[in-house]
Amino acid sequence: MVKTNKENLLEIALQGAITHTAVPASYTTTWDGQSQLGMGRGGIVYNVKIGDPCYGWELGENVEPGVSADGTDTDRAKGGFRNLSNVGNKVRILSGEAKGEWGIVIGKVGYLPGRNHHIVMHFKGDTLEKLTIGDKVQIRAKGAGYKFLDYPEVAIVSCSPKLLKNWGIDEKDGKLHVPVTKVVPVDYVGQGAGGSPPQSSNWDIQTQSPDAVEFCKDLKFGDIVLLEDTLSYYGRGYYHGAVTVGVVITGPSRHMGHGIGVTTLLSCKKGEIVSKLDPDLNLKNILELEV
Amino acid sequence: MIETNKDKLLKIAVMGEIVPSGSGGYRPTWDGTPKMSLGMGGIKYNLRVGDPCYGWASGDHVEPGVTIRGKEKPVASACALALFACIGNEAKLVSGEAKGEMGVFTGRHAGSDDLLWFSKETIEKLAIGDKVQIKAHGVGLKIKGFDDVRVNKCSPKLLESLGIKVEDDKLVVPVVARIPGFLMGSGIGSSQSVEPGDYDIMTTDPATNEKYNLHKLRLGDIVLLEDQLCVNGRGYYKGAATIGVIIHGWSDSAGHGPGVNPLLSTKDGRIKTVIDPRANTATYLGLRDDL
Repeated sequence: MVKTNKENLLEIALQGAITHTAVPASYTTTWDGQSQLGMGRGGIVYNVKIGDPCYGWELGENVEPGVSADGTDTDRAKGGFRNLSNVGNKVRILSGEAKGEWGIVIGKVGYLPGRNHHIVMHFKGDTLEKLTIGDKVQIRAKGAGYKFLDYPEVAIVSCSPKLLKNWGIDEKDGKLHVPVTKVVPVDYVGQGAGGSPPQSSNWDIQTQSPDAVEFCKDLKFGDIVLLEDTLSYYGRGYYHGAVTVGVVITGPSRHMGHGIGVTTLLSCKKGEIVSKLDPDLNLKNILELEV
Repeated sequence: MIETNKDKLLKIAVMGEIVPSGSGGYRPTWDGTPKMSLGMGGIKYNLRVGDPCYGWASGDHVEPGVTIRGKEKPVASACALALFACIGNEAKLVSGEAKGEMGVFTGRHAGSDDLLWFSKETIEKLAIGDKVQIKAHGVGLKIKGFDDVRVNKCSPKLLESLGIKVEDDKLVVPVVARIPGFLMGSGIGSSQSVEPGDYDIMTTDPATNEKYNLHKLRLGDIVLLEDQLCVNGRGYYKGAATIGVIIHGWSDSAGHGPGVNPLLSTKDGRIKTVIDPRANTATYLGLRDDL
């Protein structure tokens, strides 16, 4: 087991509410000049779940699997909800028919209309049926400040203790060997560059060029991907030899520069992370999620 | 010599106001160093198109000359100035001590800032709040026989001064540098239209800056962005080519750097480039004769 500062992490409550699905004000223009009214960006999506394919949803535009919530109250409170929540943290429903039931954070998404963000959550089927847009949720947040004690230059971003415990990261020859589903060349990495902090929003794998679409066609929600030559320390940007590891949390997009959304989990600059390819790896199994 | 439809273009008035210099206090650079930046917004007495992008003390995203914004809507990027003004258009001061004096529109920095060149004598008379009216001319511009090449934010005057030749049914465009597409960062995916913004060449990897001579870039330089398509939005497309002009300077924020307004873009291989170190809007628009 890789040594961490897990015992020193604060565990706090973050409150938000289930959002409406995000819709553009009108038709948008796709990369090839078509008019489109896309759907599936958050709210409650009943029939797309973590582990499902990213491709194949009619009119799907950055589809988010499951249920999304955003912070409420002041901008500072919203910032807390977005920046301090972690993949694998538990979420309790505070109001409505599912009051008292639990779900789990599976990803974080930004670049929504009105500069909104979504924390994407998984709930099992009978809970999902009871949820209502506007239901209050509270995340039991633990993970901010996480460090690998022997790898101070590896940034841990938005990871819960449960995720790190179950992920299967090994130490070998002074490197961290991290299981990933797929390795993504930097040419395909798009929106997200220039955004800060890495704890909010996401990177996108661009899905307009035919070669990129072919590369992405088998990706599933919850796949763990390594983005080459990208650094996610104090913001997101290009850095030769750096890597960012994240979880696939949205489907593809027909808007130029957009695509499959990736929530940042780990990043390093100098090759401390080595990928261990496992094409069947998915967050669904890592977090032992019940459908 | 290229032929265009310039006789069919509407020429209309759009308006902006000189805005104050911006300041956001200290923010972390890509490596976590606190930095208080300057050079965005306002009047820059000693920074002109043709000057270096890099090397200004505490400078970040430095904008040459004078920065104005449209005011008729709450968001500057939705104003007529942002959408219709083209590089090379005439600007006239319509209030203040320099009323009646002329300048030139030189580019648009994403989100907020429209940039103008004025002579040294005129700049001394300007005050924040002065109003400027621009004869917007260039929207809809096309090159005959090259309908697949999207022309953007480019006045007929600039297009005709770019030194474009036609060889083997391709446009041959002189550029200062060829920038690999994977270096394009902030601004990718941020809009489905190309008119109201720029996007950044990422300059936060020191080794890459050296490798591609990015320190040498100047404000106003014409560059090729490889594998980038800027027709309906901005992003990666294998084999595409975008010709752009650098409109703002260097950045130390992750994913940011010199900003580029796309001028010409195609995915169909109809743009070729030749290297010419003098390819700069300051020369092309007759703003300077010392470069």
